Amino acid sequence: MSEKNPLPFAKTQSKAMLLWVLAVLIGLPLVLPSATLASEILIFAMAALACNLLLGYTGLLSFGQGIFFGAGAYCAALLMIHLQLGLFSALLGAAVAGGFLALLVGALAIRRTGIYFVMLTLAFSQMAYFVAYTLSDWTGGDNGLLSVPRPEIRIGDSVLLSLADARAFYGFVAVLFLLIFIGARRVIASPFGSTLMAIRENETRASAIGYDTRHFKILVFVLSGAVTGIAGALYAMLLHFVPLSNIDLAMSENILIMTIVGGTGSLFGSLLGAGSIVLLGDFLSDLWPRWLMLLGVILILVVIFMRGGLWGGLASLFEKVRGRRKAVVVAKEQGL
Amino acid sequence: MLNLYLFQILNGLGLGMIYFLIAVGLTIIFGLLNFVNFAHGAFFLLGAYICYTAVSLTGSFWLALLLAPLVVAALAWVIERLLIQRIYHLPHMFQILVTLGIALIIQEASVMIWGPVGKSVAVPELLRGVLVLGDFVYPYYRLFLIVFSGLVGLGLWLLLERTRFGALVRAGSESTETVSLLGTNIFRLFSMTFALGVGLAGMAGVLFAPLRGAQPFVGPEILGIAFVVVVIGGMGSFSGALVGGLLVGVVQSLMTTLWPQGASLMIYGAMAVVILVRPYGLFGRA
Amino acid sequence: MSILLETKNLELAYGAFHAVNGVNLKVAAGTIHTIIGPNGAGKTSLFHCLTGERQATAGAIHFDGQPLMRKPAHARVGLGMARSFQLTSLFQNLSVRENLRLAAQGRDGARALNFWRRVESKREHLEMADQVLERLQLTARAATLAGELSHGQQRVLEVGMSICSKPKLLMLDEPTSGMGIDDIPIMTQLISDLGRDHTVLLIEHNMSIVMSISQRITVMSHGQILVEGTPEFVRADERVRTAYLGEAA
Repeated sequence: MSEKNPLPFAKTQSKAMLLWVLAVLIGLPLVLPSATLASEILIFAMAALACNLLLGYTGLLSFGQGIFFGAGAYCAALLMIHLQLGLFSALLGAAVAGGFLALLVGALAIRRTGIYFVMLTLAFSQMAYFVAYTLSDWTGGDNGLLSVPRPEIRIGDSVLLSLADARAFYGFVAVLFLLIFIGARRVIASPFGSTLMAIRENETRASAIGYDTRHFKILVFVLSGAVTGIAGALYAMLLHFVPLSNIDLAMSENILIMTIVGGTGSLFGSLLGAGSIVLLGDFLSDLWPRWLMLLGVILILVVIFMRGGLWGGLASLFEKVRGRRKAVVVAKEQGL
Repeated sequence: MLNLYLFQILNGLGLGMIYFLIAVGLTIIFGLLNFVNFAHGAFFLLGAYICYTAVSLTGSFWLALLLAPLVVAALAWVIERLLIQRIYHLPHMFQILVTLGIALIIQEASVMIWGPVGKSVAVPELLRGVLVLGDFVYPYYRLFLIVFSGLVGLGLWLLLERTRFGALVRAGSESTETVSLLGTNIFRLFSMTFALGVGLAGMAGVLFAPLRGAQPFVGPEILGIAFVVVVIGGMGSFSGALVGGLLVGVVQSLMTTLWPQGASLMIYGAMAVVILVRPYGLFGRA
Repeated sequence: MSILLETKNLELAYGAFHAVNGVNLKVAAGTIHTIIGPNGAGKTSLFHCLTGERQATAGAIHFDGQPLMRKPAHARVGLGMARSFQLTSLFQNLSVRENLRLAAQGRDGARALNFWRRVESKREHLEMADQVLERLQLTARAATLAGELSHGQQRVLEVGMSICSKPKLLMLDEPTSGMGIDDIPIMTQLISDLGRDHTVLLIEHNMSIVMSISQRITVMSHGQILVEGTPEFVRADERVRTAYLGEAA
């Protein structure tokens, strides 16, 4: 491991970024043919953002994100089906389920580093899948969990807004995404967030200057798991269905790939990554059912040639353009 | 009843020897090149499919057993030269991601070529039927698996322990400079090692085909099992891969009669426990 | 003079081999105390036991009146110990100021888990970082990434990070290691400057530095203390010469 930390280093985010996110949130349903597709993008963007907290900010490659996604989906669906819980209680339940499993997985996995850490998350991911498969009375096993409701937003007994319409649901998902994005920015800019970056950079030094790095890693796991659980719950509401594939290893891989393709250097990158891959899948899956092959190619190209991902690529392009414009301005000022 | 268990255990030994071949390839690549190959399951898959094609074209399983591993190894050689060599120096995280990409490509390409439905491969004529010893029966093909994989394992051990190639590879894993000083092209050595490890996965795929056919999405499952075996045995340990492979094979085989999903839960649980309690595996060196 | 750090029969064994073999060390508060010795004498192993990087296998460590043996490395910071590394160990992709701020924040221990307040709300850490920047004469480079500093400046930052937590004891592991001949006087100056406010435990090879800034010197050999005393006393000791000559021969 001669190269030091070759991932682009994730930093705190600028104010302008929030405007970009707002623009995307408003623009998505206008540009895309369906609001359902737009919702799907944001749901996976949440999951990718949560993954990015681990990968981009703390340097932890987790194959366990599917556990939290699936657990959130199952938990919310079961709460709504069996206990008739409302929208927010179901989402809260999903966050707790995702966060709690992340606590368990995280607390065990961080006892090891490097390849052994990855293997542990992989093992837990496989175990979660087989547990979900075995508990088919609850999860529906291979057939999936059917007729998941999409409750309305209520205050007391009065219905405030029905989310049955795809656009209304998109609006709700977009508001949640914005809140989570803002929350994640805050986390990154906090003493905790700055310590995560220190751990990622140099864990030995971080503990030598007084941090019990285990606690930081576990907490970031819990935060990541809770957000991923919420994303899973929203996905279940979107589809009215929880397929078993929500909790399998491929889900973890998809979330990871979105995070990396989007770029680990920025939270905004996660939105880019989820957006481009969900769109690519939607566009290609009818034309070319084997489009995952392309995803493999993209993944390889990103890791080898464009480690900043789409965000890194765009950022350096932007900088070049700005640099050139600046040069032109300077040239004009000098009367050239 | 007892006979049923004995039968399952022996069955498991046959399966376990296939797992040994997959895992030993993975462990060679990890132990000697310090490279994590997440495409290992995909190469296994490719071996099974090439076996299917070779059998349907030539009608000979034996030819397939000879050719398919060579074809897979040759492909691995090319991929190593074009791609893998660029990422040896990167942290494991990046190796995992790149080989994950390779696995996706191989898997999807296999579906394009051979279709989404699995293909079955017949047990070669010579090995059909069962061995009868009193009231005990055992399929010839399983017996063949044990003997053949055992011989391959022995050959591999001799290759690594008793030849100049093996000595160089082992030296190279300690220090690439030493080997370069000996006047050996270290990159060619690495390519050969990678091709050898992957070729073993391809060979395991061929041997597996008459048991369960060539299935397009079996790659991740096989990769998972290979890692379980390697971790339990100790990363980089040859004897660990053997014992781990047999252990996992027997457990899986025993559990198929009792609780099939339980087998997967158990082996992944065992892997987690081993990493947490004995991270260097049962046979690894600390 | 009060004793800040004391070890009693400290041992670090790897199987039959004792890297540290019954060391009784006393570091008086307010001194610069240096440990020297030929390669393999056990200096670094002793250092590891003191920082918590390794668990000593026998004996006792008392720091500021408290037992320390089983405390992990990060917990020793809260008690007032801080260390630097022989091989530069910085947060390469963070700014110089952020490196120092993180080091100051480290003293907060579990309170740094706060994920809702802004970094800026903890003024004292930023102020500490700025003070140390001044002291290290790195203010002009505050926004530079640590990895982009010159090697000499990285060594200075390496030592500087250890004072951000306002420690009682500074443990410096070969601070001049790998430094160019031109940069060494700056480091010597810095250490003796730090010695005015802190107790310093130093491991160092460069004899001219050791002799010029130390108040007390412990010479180690084969995992044990060979001689201890003032620089003049150690310089004159026959056994010390033999130990070093033995290494050369």
